[in-house]
Amino acid sequence: MSVLGELRSSRKAASGPRARGGLRRGDGRAAALFLAPWFAGLLLITAGPMVASGYLSLTNYNLLQPPEWIGLDNYSRMLEDPRLLNSLQVTFTYVFVSVPLQLAAALALALLLDRGLKGLAIYRSVYYLPSLLGGSVAIAILWRQVFGSDGLVNQVLAFFGVQGQGWVSHPDYALGTLMALNVWTFGAPMVIFLAGLRQIPQMYYEAASIDGAGKIRQFRSITVPLLTPIIFFNLVLQVINAFQTFTQAYVVSGGTGGPADSTMFYTLYLYQRGFGALDMGYASAMAWLLLAIVAGMTAVNFLASKYWVFYND
Amino acid sequence: MSTSITHRQRPARGALLKVGALLTVGALALGACGGDRGAAGPADTDTTAAEEGEDVTIRFSWWGSDTRHEVTQEVLDLFMAENPDITVVGDFTDWGGYWDKLSTTVAAGDAPDVITQEERYLADYASRGVLADLSTLDIDTAEVDPGVVASGEVDGGLYGIATGINAYAVVADPQIFADAGVEMPDDTTWTWDDYVEIASEISASGEDVFGAQDYGFNEPGFAIWARQQGQNLYTPEGTLGYDEQTLADWWQTSLDLQDSGGTPDAARSVEIDAGGPEQSLLGTNTGAMGVWWTNQLGAISAAAGRDLELLRFPGESEHERTGMYFKPAMYYSVAETSQHPEAAAKLVDFLLNDPAAGELMLSDRGMPANTSVRDGIQELLPPVEQQAAAFLEDLEDEIVDGAPVPPVGAGEVVEIIRRINTEVLFGRLSPQEAAAQFTAEVEAATGS
Repeated sequence: MSVLGELRSSRKAASGPRARGGLRRGDGRAAALFLAPWFAGLLLITAGPMVASGYLSLTNYNLLQPPEWIGLDNYSRMLEDPRLLNSLQVTFTYVFVSVPLQLAAALALALLLDRGLKGLAIYRSVYYLPSLLGGSVAIAILWRQVFGSDGLVNQVLAFFGVQGQGWVSHPDYALGTLMALNVWTFGAPMVIFLAGLRQIPQMYYEAASIDGAGKIRQFRSITVPLLTPIIFFNLVLQVINAFQTFTQAYVVSGGTGGPADSTMFYTLYLYQRGFGALDMGYASAMAWLLLAIVAGMTAVNFLASKYWVFYND
Repeated sequence: MSTSITHRQRPARGALLKVGALLTVGALALGACGGDRGAAGPADTDTTAAEEGEDVTIRFSWWGSDTRHEVTQEVLDLFMAENPDITVVGDFTDWGGYWDKLSTTVAAGDAPDVITQEERYLADYASRGVLADLSTLDIDTAEVDPGVVASGEVDGGLYGIATGINAYAVVADPQIFADAGVEMPDDTTWTWDDYVEIASEISASGEDVFGAQDYGFNEPGFAIWARQQGQNLYTPEGTLGYDEQTLADWWQTSLDLQDSGGTPDAARSVEIDAGGPEQSLLGTNTGAMGVWWTNQLGAISAAAGRDLELLRFPGESEHERTGMYFKPAMYYSVAETSQHPEAAAKLVDFLLNDPAAGELMLSDRGMPANTSVRDGIQELLPPVEQQAAAFLEDLEDEIVDGAPVPPVGAGEVVEIIRRINTEVLFGRLSPQEAAAQFTAEVEAATGS
């Protein structure tokens, strides 16, 4: 209903300054028809489940019996749940360490590839590949092998005479292997960086070098400022992505978030509460907290962007 | 989006159209959902269908290894050949994903008709109305030991029938003992100190093997430890039945083993635990002992490629009583929402009582609960399983009593003990702290 109301009011607003002439009668009908699937999707697949989860977050719901209203109890329980706080700590550590590293790797590779290499398309595809695979189950299983006690990493270390250990099964290192996995999937932001680098007019660099600016100076004074909108875009996307990390942690830890909760990501804990402990009301409340956190982080990002993102236009 | 809508047409008509479009799409989507629900959901107990010879399809869910999947499919083929009007669809995963999947399908109103259950979850599902009372269905339990049938009772109803009998025991590899030059223990008299000593001795033998796999990731081992000392993990009332010190001692012994080199270091123990029977120390010929359920002996022996031996738990003669017990390996249950309870009951009856089905499954779901099926398969068992059968028979006189059915919420203990044991092995919690935390968390999970 509210969507329709919005439509009506926005039509009124639009009827003042007409953007383009020549819209014929049937167009509205056609537009509505084409928009309908999108609205239906929004209502049924996004808004509907969100409303339902909002309701469930106020209930005690074990999946097997009808939900029972308990008000804000789930939310107050969250404050006293040490494992929830631990999962927040794990997730924040992961976001704050792996996202900057990932973006740095992506930018570095993009700068290398931007030098007009022969066969650029091939390199681009090769480096993009991990991004396509990174979130997949197969790679996570491979990761577990590579960082296992007898895995590739330890074999290489053994070659240099270093005694390795089971990286994914040690609580001090398990999260690190997952961060490495995330950094490794730098392909998607790299492709975007590459496109951004292409947008920077060559003449700036020419002018700068005539003025005697070296490569580093050019990078600092031309490339970085003109690339800030792209960096900002990548940052926002990757932060949101990183908060929602699930598959890698689930597969690498065998669904346990172990060893000793060291890879217990927020989403994984949410899943365990909901489907493992059949505490779906609590899991729904957790989902809303995650939404609030991600929205908050994104808002902070946008506010901070005023101070460092430079729009050339 | 909305700004692109044109403003020149008559508003009423446009709005009407949009409502129409929305409704159409909505109706289509709802229709699709409705179709699903109609096919698989509850209500509609049109049970006459089967009797009239109309074809019905039921689903049977179980967890397990690849061998179990293949054998079970053979059993189902046999059942379908005998009951051409019933089609059984297998719904199987490994143990880890089974309960997540089951709870989701049950919540979606799409529960499998015949559900494999386990004692830690049986009370959960039964008390929440998911399972049908099997005593109201046509399933013959005459040849099952009454004590075993009773193990599936919750609040006076029969919600599961045991597939077979199991015991938690030490599995040992005689070959590694011989290689290490260590004598196999006399399992009727060995103590926990002997266990630690033997394991350390084997690790120190110079062969590239470990004495034992860490035992702390699973709570039945602690139940036996506690029972040996006259306590228990759970009381029949569903509360906790042990002193925290007893649990701390259990973890201390595990740490002693780790410190003496009898078990691998913490990281490796975590890794091995995640690998299941196939990648266990015994399965990879890299360790001499481990604690397992007797029905896993076949799978581990197959992975090891040699014959392994079952031993009693250490400490069975150390205190005033023994601690080992028989556990129903799994249960067959029928969903309350099944549209075809008759067909589902027929399948359970077949799995439980049919000699041919028994000959296919052998002891994979525990030594068959049906005594005549059990006798019938003795000859057919491979030597290693015959050993398990003989082992269980020997135990019959020693076992004092069964372990009580775990309370509602006991399923969470699987995860709790694995996590806390990891903390202990890495030295992040002392055995005392671990015992206190375990008690607190299990009490919260089971509401006791």
